[in-house]
Amino acid sequence: MDFSFPKEYQLFRRMVREFCESEVKPLAKVIDREHRVPHETIRKAAKLGLMGVPFPQKYGGMGGGEIGYCILMEELGRVCTSTTTVIGAHTGIGAMAIYLDGTEEQKQKYLVPLAQGTAIGAFGLTEAQAGSDAAAIKTTAVRDGNHYVLNGTKIFITNGDIADIITIMAVTDPSLGAYGGITAFIVETDTPGFSIGSLENKMGIRGSSTAECVLQDVRVPKENVLGQFGAGFLTFMKALDVGRASLGAGCLGGAEAALEASIQWARAREQFGVPIATKQAVHFMIADMAAEIEALRALVYRTAWLIDTGQPHILEASACKLFGSEVAHRCINRALQIHGALGYSRDYWIELGWRDQRITEIYEGTNEIQRIVIAANLFRPYGMRIPT
Amino acid sequence: MDFSFFGELLEEEREITPEVTEGYRNLWVAAEAADGTLPPSTLEAIGQAREIANQIGVYVWASLLGDGVEPLAQQLIAYGADRVLVADSPSLAEYQPEVYVKILADLVGQHRPEMLLMPATSLGNDLAPRLAQRLNTGLISHCLKLTLDMSERLLLGTCPALGGEVYHTFACPQARPQMATLEPGYFRIPSADPYRSGEVKRVDLDLGGVTGRLSWLEREASVELPPVPLSRAKIVVSAGRGMGDAEGFALVQRLAEVLGAALVGSRGAFDEGWIPEDRIVGVGGQFIAPDLYIACGLSGDIYHYFGVQSARCIVAINPDENAPIMKVAHMAVVGDARQVIPAMLNALGR
Amino acid sequence: MRMVIPIKQILDPAGITVRRDKERIFINREEYIIDPGSKAALEAALRLKEERDQAETIAISLGPARTDDALREALAMGCDAAYLLSDPAFEEADLSVATLILAAAVRKLGGADLILVGRQSGDTGAGQIGPRLAEALGYAQVTDVYALAVENGAARTTRRWGKGYATVQVQLPAVVTVAPEAFPPRYPHGARIMNAYREWNVPVWGCADLNLEPSSLTPLLTFRGESFPPPLEPERFRGNPTTVAQEVITALTLHKLINPGGGSHGL
Repeated sequence: MDFSFPKEYQLFRRMVREFCESEVKPLAKVIDREHRVPHETIRKAAKLGLMGVPFPQKYGGMGGGEIGYCILMEELGRVCTSTTTVIGAHTGIGAMAIYLDGTEEQKQKYLVPLAQGTAIGAFGLTEAQAGSDAAAIKTTAVRDGNHYVLNGTKIFITNGDIADIITIMAVTDPSLGAYGGITAFIVETDTPGFSIGSLENKMGIRGSSTAECVLQDVRVPKENVLGQFGAGFLTFMKALDVGRASLGAGCLGGAEAALEASIQWARAREQFGVPIATKQAVHFMIADMAAEIEALRALVYRTAWLIDTGQPHILEASACKLFGSEVAHRCINRALQIHGALGYSRDYWIELGWRDQRITEIYEGTNEIQRIVIAANLFRPYGMRIPT
Repeated sequence: MDFSFFGELLEEEREITPEVTEGYRNLWVAAEAADGTLPPSTLEAIGQAREIANQIGVYVWASLLGDGVEPLAQQLIAYGADRVLVADSPSLAEYQPEVYVKILADLVGQHRPEMLLMPATSLGNDLAPRLAQRLNTGLISHCLKLTLDMSERLLLGTCPALGGEVYHTFACPQARPQMATLEPGYFRIPSADPYRSGEVKRVDLDLGGVTGRLSWLEREASVELPPVPLSRAKIVVSAGRGMGDAEGFALVQRLAEVLGAALVGSRGAFDEGWIPEDRIVGVGGQFIAPDLYIACGLSGDIYHYFGVQSARCIVAINPDENAPIMKVAHMAVVGDARQVIPAMLNALGR
Repeated sequence: MRMVIPIKQILDPAGITVRRDKERIFINREEYIIDPGSKAALEAALRLKEERDQAETIAISLGPARTDDALREALAMGCDAAYLLSDPAFEEADLSVATLILAAAVRKLGGADLILVGRQSGDTGAGQIGPRLAEALGYAQVTDVYALAVENGAARTTRRWGKGYATVQVQLPAVVTVAPEAFPPRYPHGARIMNAYREWNVPVWGCADLNLEPSSLTPLLTFRGESFPPPLEPERFRGNPTTVAQEVITALTLHKLINPGGGSHGL
C-alpha cells in the first residue's frame, strides 16, 4: 500500500495552491459581496487547464482524472467556496455528463470547449417540485422532425446564467417514469426560447449564480440527445455519483482552512494573560477538527482512486459528500467558536466560510438522500431494493 | 541547502600544497571609480585590505581601470594602498567584462597577489566570478566579514545564505589568489591620510586583440517592474490613520516606492480613501508574511497584527510608545512618522 | 535560436525556520523547489521562445536524483527538453566544478545562442555561475538584467547598474543573468504537469557522457562553518527624527532587510 501522491499530483497541487493563494483568495470577500466570480479569474484558471482537470487530453482536458480534480476542489475549497462551486458545477456535473455518456461527436463539439474553459457548463435537473425527488420533473421534450422541442422551467441551476452549454433533463415519455421516460439533452444557451428567469438571493456561495432557466419551445437537434434515449435518469445519476467525491474534496479544503485559521488565531489571541492556544478547551476543538480532517482526506482520495481505476464507488462517493459536508460543518463551526466575536464579524472570513459551508449539506443530493443511497447499497445484496 | 554536503567538504580538507602558494604575496583591491570619485564600497575594500595586510605583513596594492581615473590613484594611497596600478585609457571608459578580465588576469599573472578583494557592486559582481574562472581560483562572494586563519594564511570569507538568516564561511586553500567580493556597507571606511606615501604605476595596455562585446546605449534611473502579488512581496509598507492627511500618506507611498515595497494600510487608511479594499491588512483583509513590514502611523491592534504576525521583521513608527504595534515590533521607532519618513528617505539618499 | 537554462533546485525556504537565538536550523518540511532566480530565467527564456518561430529551450541542472523534479517542472513550464547532470563524482561540486560540468553539458548540446540563469540563488546566493559559465565557454555576458529582447544576433538588455539601470546590447552567444523581480514566472499548465511525469523523459548525463575526468573535478572552496547573525531583539529608537531614521536604515541594511544601494556601482 502506498498512500503518497504520485509526483505529478504533488506538483499539480503546488501549482494550484499558488494559483489559489495569489489569484483567488484575495478576491473571496469581493466575490461574496458582488455575487460573481470575475470572468478574469475563470479565464486564468482555464489557461492553466483547471476547467477540465478530470478529462483526457484528447478532449481538451488536463488528464488529471478524479484524483487531480479532487486536488483542485480541495485547494479551491481552502480559499473560496463560490469559486469551487462555479468550477465544480461546470466540470463535475456539467461537462462530466457529456464525458460519461456523450458520443464522440458530442465530445468533440461540446466537451472540448468546456474542458478548455472557452465555454461554461451547467447541469439542469432541479425543478420546483422535483428536488430530491428528481424523477418528478415536468419539463418536456417532444419530437418534431429532426428536433426536440423543450418546454419547462429549471430552478436552482448553478452557473445557469453564465453557462454556454447546459445538460437538461426532460420527460420524453411520461408513461415510463424515471427509468425510460426521462432523456438528457445538450442545450446551447443561445438557442431561441432559452432564457434566464430570476437569480436566487442565497445565504452563502453568493459568488456562484443560481438561476432559474426557462425553456420555451427550445428546439434542440436530435443529435444532442445525451446518452440513450429514455435513459436520462441514469446519465445524471452517474454524473452526480462522480461529482460527490469532489464535493467531499471541496469540504476537505474548507475544513483545513478552518483548522489552520484556528491554530493561528489561538496562538495570537491572548486572554487572561496567555494565548488561548494554551487552553484545553481549544485543544479539544482543534484536535477533533484535525482527526476528522484526516479521516475525510483518506476517504476522499481513496474514492477518487476507485473512480480512476474503474471500480464501484457509489457508496464511497456518497460517503464523501455526506461525511465531508458534516466535517466541514463541524470544523467551521468550531473555528467560529474559537474566533469568538471575530468569527461572527463580517470583517473576517470565518463568517463567510460558515455561510458558504451550509449549502454543502444540501446541494447535489441532500445529506438525507446520501444516507438513503448508502443504505440502499448496503441492503441491495440482501435483495432489498430501495428506490432512490 | 544540503548541509551534509558541506560537512563532507570539511572532513576531506586537504593539506595545502606548497606549489599552490609559492610566489604569491601582497593583497590586492580591484578598485572602482564612478563619476570621477572613489565610491564608498571601494574605500571599504581598501580599509579591509589594509587591516588584513597589517596582520600578515604585506603590502596593499590596488588596480584602477577606467578613463581619466589616474587622479584618483593618490586617494587610494591616502586611504591605505601602498601601490596603485592604473590602466587609464579612453578604451576603458565603458565596462567590458572580457577586456577588464584580460587586464586584471595579466596583472595577476605578473604580480601574483596572495589575495584579491573587490567590492560586490554591479561591476564587481559581474567581473569577479569571470576573473576567478579565468584564474582558475575560488571566489567567496558577497562577504559580510573577512578574517584570517593565520596558521595557513587563509582568507576566511563569511557570506549570507538563506536570505541572510545564516552565515557560511569559506576558504580557498588550493588556489591563488584567494578572491572575495565585499558587500557594500558592511566594512568600515578608513580615514584618509593625505600625507601617506605610495607608488602610482601606469600599466601599459596590451589587450592582445580582446575586444568588448557590449554596447552601452543609455542610462535610466528606473525601470517599471511587474506587480508582485501581495502574498509574495518581500517588503511591505503600511499606512494608518496616524499619517493624518493625503500629504502624510504620500510620504508612505514614497517610502514604498524607494524601497520597492508593496503599499498597504489599516482599515483606517481604507476609510480615508488612501488604499483600495484589497490592500487592507489584518483580519478584515489580507494576511501577509513579508521579510520586512513597516507600519507607519498605525496603532496595530490584535486584529491588524494577526494579519502580519508571520512577518520576519516588523518596524513600527508611532508617537505613542504604548501603541499595541510598538509592543510586537522588532524595531519600534518612537516618533511622528511624518517627520521620521522624510528623514528615512533622506538617509536612503532620496 | 537555442537557449539553455541551467537551473538550481533548493530546499523550499518556506519549510525552514532559522532560530538565530538557538543557532539552529529547523527543517519543518523537506520540500525542494526550483530556485526563484532559476524560475525567472526559465520565464525569460520562454518569453523569448514565444516571440519567434524557431527557438528551443533546454533546461539543465546539476544535482542528485531528486533534481529530476525541478527539470520536470521546467518541462511543465514550457521547456522543450531537460537534462539532469548527475554522477557520484559531481557530489562535491563547488562553483568552479559546477561551471566545468555545466559548460561540458552546453558543449554536448552543441552550444547555445543564449544561456539564461538567475542573478543569484535563494539559498547560497553566490551569483557566480553566470559569469563563470560565460568565461568557461568564451561567451559574452550581461548580469542582473531586468528586460531582455533578442534580434539580429544580439540581445538588448536593461541591466541594473549602480543605483540606476543601463541599456546594454550584447552580441550572441551570451550568458544573461536575470533579476527575479522582473520576470515573475508563469504557472505550469496542468496538462504539461501530467505529461512531464507521464510522457516525457529527462535523460541523465554523468561523467562519461560529458567526457569529464572525475579527478579534474576538485573543488576549490572549502566550507569552514556556519554561524548566525544575532537575533532580531526588540529594539526601541528614540530621539530626533534624523538620527533615529539613520539608525533604523543602518539596522535594516545590516540585517539585509533592505538593500539601499542594490549592490551599487555608485555606493
